[in-house]
Amino acid sequence: MSPLILGLFGIPAVLVLVFLRVPIGLAMLGVGIAGSWLITGSLNPTMAQFKSLTYGTFASYSLSVVPLFLLMGQFATLSGLSSGLFNAAAAWMGHRKGGVAMAAIGASAGFGAICGSSLATAATMGHVALPELKKYGYSGALATGTVAAGGTLGILIPPSIILVIYAVLTEMNIAKLFMAAFLPGILAAVGYMVVIAIYVRVSPGAGGTRPRMPYAERFRELGRTWPVLVLFLLVIGGIYTGVFTPTEAAAVGAAGTGIIAIATRTLGRRGLVNASLGTAMSTAMIFLIVLGAASLNGFLALSQLPQVASAWIAAQGFNPWLVLTVVLIFYLLLGCVMDSLSMILLTVPIVYPMMTALDFGLAPDDFGIWFGILVLIVVEVGLITPPVGMNLFIINSMSPGTRLSETFRGVLPFVASDIVRTIFLVAFPPASLWLVWMLY
Amino acid sequence: DITLRLHQMLPAQATIPAKALTPWAEKVQADSGGRIKVELYPAMQLGGAPPDLYDQAKDGVVDLIWTVLGYTPGRFPKSEVFELPFLITTGEASSAAFYNYVMANSADEFAGVKVIALHTHGPGLFHTKNPINKLEDLKGMKIRGGSRIISSMLAQLGAEPVGMPVPQVTEALSKGVIDGTTIPWEVTPSLKVAELVKNHTGFSGTHGLYSQTFGFTMNLDSYNRLPDDLKAIIDANSGLETSREFGRVMDQGDAVGLRIATEAGNNIVQLDEAETARWQAAAQPTIDQWFADMKAIGVDGPALYAAAQAAVAAESN
Amino acid sequence: MFTDDGGLGRFVNALARWSAVAGSLALIGMTVLICVSVLGRALLWAGLKPITGDYELVSIGMGFAVFAFMPWAHLKRGHALVSLVTDGLSPASNRIILVITDLAMLVAAAFIAWRLHAGMLDKFAYKETTLLLRFPLGWAYAFGLVGAVILVIVSVFVLGRSVGMALRGENELKGAGGEA
Ligand code: NA
Ligand code: NA
Repeated sequence: MSPLILGLFGIPAVLVLVFLRVPIGLAMLGVGIAGSWLITGSLNPTMAQFKSLTYGTFASYSLSVVPLFLLMGQFATLSGLSSGLFNAAAAWMGHRKGGVAMAAIGASAGFGAICGSSLATAATMGHVALPELKKYGYSGALATGTVAAGGTLGILIPPSIILVIYAVLTEMNIAKLFMAAFLPGILAAVGYMVVIAIYVRVSPGAGGTRPRMPYAERFRELGRTWPVLVLFLLVIGGIYTGVFTPTEAAAVGAAGTGIIAIATRTLGRRGLVNASLGTAMSTAMIFLIVLGAASLNGFLALSQLPQVASAWIAAQGFNPWLVLTVVLIFYLLLGCVMDSLSMILLTVPIVYPMMTALDFGLAPDDFGIWFGILVLIVVEVGLITPPVGMNLFIINSMSPGTRLSETFRGVLPFVASDIVRTIFLVAFPPASLWLVWMLY
Repeated sequence: DITLRLHQMLPAQATIPAKALTPWAEKVQADSGGRIKVELYPAMQLGGAPPDLYDQAKDGVVDLIWTVLGYTPGRFPKSEVFELPFLITTGEASSAAFYNYVMANSADEFAGVKVIALHTHGPGLFHTKNPINKLEDLKGMKIRGGSRIISSMLAQLGAEPVGMPVPQVTEALSKGVIDGTTIPWEVTPSLKVAELVKNHTGFSGTHGLYSQTFGFTMNLDSYNRLPDDLKAIIDANSGLETSREFGRVMDQGDAVGLRIATEAGNNIVQLDEAETARWQAAAQPTIDQWFADMKAIGVDGPALYAAAQAAVAAESN
Repeated sequence: MFTDDGGLGRFVNALARWSAVAGSLALIGMTVLICVSVLGRALLWAGLKPITGDYELVSIGMGFAVFAFMPWAHLKRGHALVSLVTDGLSPASNRIILVITDLAMLVAAAFIAWRLHAGMLDKFAYKETTLLLRFPLGWAYAFGLVGAVILVIVSVFVLGRSVGMALRGENELKGAGGEA
């Protein structure tokens, strides 16, 4: 078989193994090794390569951003910043129709500004918001749908681990990607609130309201969230101004949240162990996939598939917008069954060179940023699309008495808002790029 | 009939990949009547990090690699002498000198690979936000150093050396994380250095501030597997003249970078002989430190340094 | 023998747990190191300095920490997977699949540790060091090898655990692991 044909079988082979319940990173690793073996006709290159590949992949300065942001998220969760955010948001919005759910979205956005991970945001906001939503009579469907969707703001609003991985894969500038994600992230939060406003009007029994708060109380609650604002300005501001590299910003953020956790006396020995185990779990999961991707991508490059595919796409004269639409729909469908990180690591090395061969009337750098934001959004939708959506499972398990089917039903309007937003961002690239153009 | 895979870390359009490696691959293909096919894998496409490249060829992960020898510190101690300050002249002469020097003095460091070319870049110099007109101007500047030796020299000269990979230089300069960088002219266009800083400082005389060393090597089994006539083709496209050609390509790249900075109206300073002599004197502790480092591993540093100087002088006339 | 509450199980759980905590402590150490370095760089005018070689120290710390995190994630089933299709199969089929994938993980872990060990010997033999601090890379590899070896031990246990459960006809809890 020619290397190119072998390459064509690469991703399907990974998918078959994944559907047979092989851990995704392991499946990529296995196919990568087997594919290189078949192409070179010898296992020796792989034997030699793994003398340094695993260590080199793990001991990466640029990827140290990932565990540092995860640690920051763990500390932020420990120190109860999420409940302060929720109280402040509820003080301002809780008296409106659907206001408690809107507050959960607002608080998720706030937490997303200091946490790089979706699941951590969903889990911590679930603890805070679900009891409140229940208390004010929200249906299980709307309550769990809201918190699950709100969790994706952890990734959509910078800092964002998925964007870090995309940046490393495509050699893009992390700072610019973070800036570009900002407006679309805010749009996502606004879109979710609009969904809630419509939901409670269409289905009036879905939720009640809190008593209206006096403005003095509102401002006091808002004032209590200052640590979040300070952390966000420190991390994102530090990255933007170039005072910090992304790794340094993540370390400063982790240290800042750690100090807050110590100050709030939540970082005892037990808290430290739990934060450590949480960080270890997510980091290990991510790096196994990163290692698998390193192996798989070596095989794919060896097969010449990415090179041939991008040349082929460029030669066909396809309408770029049609290709983009097909790619995004492909991601949406894949997202129903797969997690976002795996999708990015599995496909971007092939899809990105193909897409850069097309002309969207954007400078190459701008295209890379814009495409990154679009991919980020569509793969994140996967977290809340049935049947496989991690946020749905996590939040549903935190809400006894709500059937999984109710959660699935409750989240669908939020998915719809994601799709509307994606269409808007596709049609209107400046929405993603404007802030980058302004700042750089 | 035979496919050789060539792996390296730079994008395909960078100077050496575009102007030296690609022509080399085409020439070998043409000379062999198409019997040798060279596949080019730029930008670490086949995986691993740049420091892994040398072993990728040695151990047979790929057939050919091109790498910076300084990426694996400690691996080529005797060859490292070419990184010492004010040793090298032009890229072309220094590359030929480096090849000759290695063959005579440190060929053992390249045991287990077939050497295609060994070369240097042209003279490295300062590119800074604020002008450097004398040694004292460097004091306190945050400067990205090109290698371990240049970093320690910067510290001895009073600067604050900052270590970072080349691709990060652009952003670090634009955000003020560093005040300047040492690199040869050849790299400045791709990093947009002439847009980000307005001052470039080089030296009088024939010797440049520093250089880095590069190796273009082949897996020994891949070479030994070739029939004799194809071996002869590889041999004809490796060695002294190939090394010299790689150095010449670096010089041509330098000319492009210099032209861009000149057209941008930048302040291009050449320190006069008296000032250059002060810098050379100030750099002596770096050379002495290297002698001490070599002594610690049982290597006669001064003798190697003299041999390197002689090799450069022989090629630089 | 291969149960979480048996003697071996408690030992393996503690081993993976402390490995993860040690990795996190390294991560916290890196955090402090980076903050001190950033502060030093910001306060150059006051005579402070960034820490020399902070890049390479962070890399070495990552090399240790990420390997050290692996055992815990495997023991606690933290790796991302898709059970959509297999959820439709019988519990017996799922038990067999689990044994096979755990065997694959053991093979992968052993392969990684074996090659890492070979790489470590190379780095020692070639006397390679880091750029600025000239720290021997062989030792950096050795730090990583600690976690890699623990992962092999844990993988043996996890395989034994799922074989035991398959023989007894017990099921592990369904569902996927962590997610970014
Ligand atoms: Na975030
Ligand atoms: Na999904």
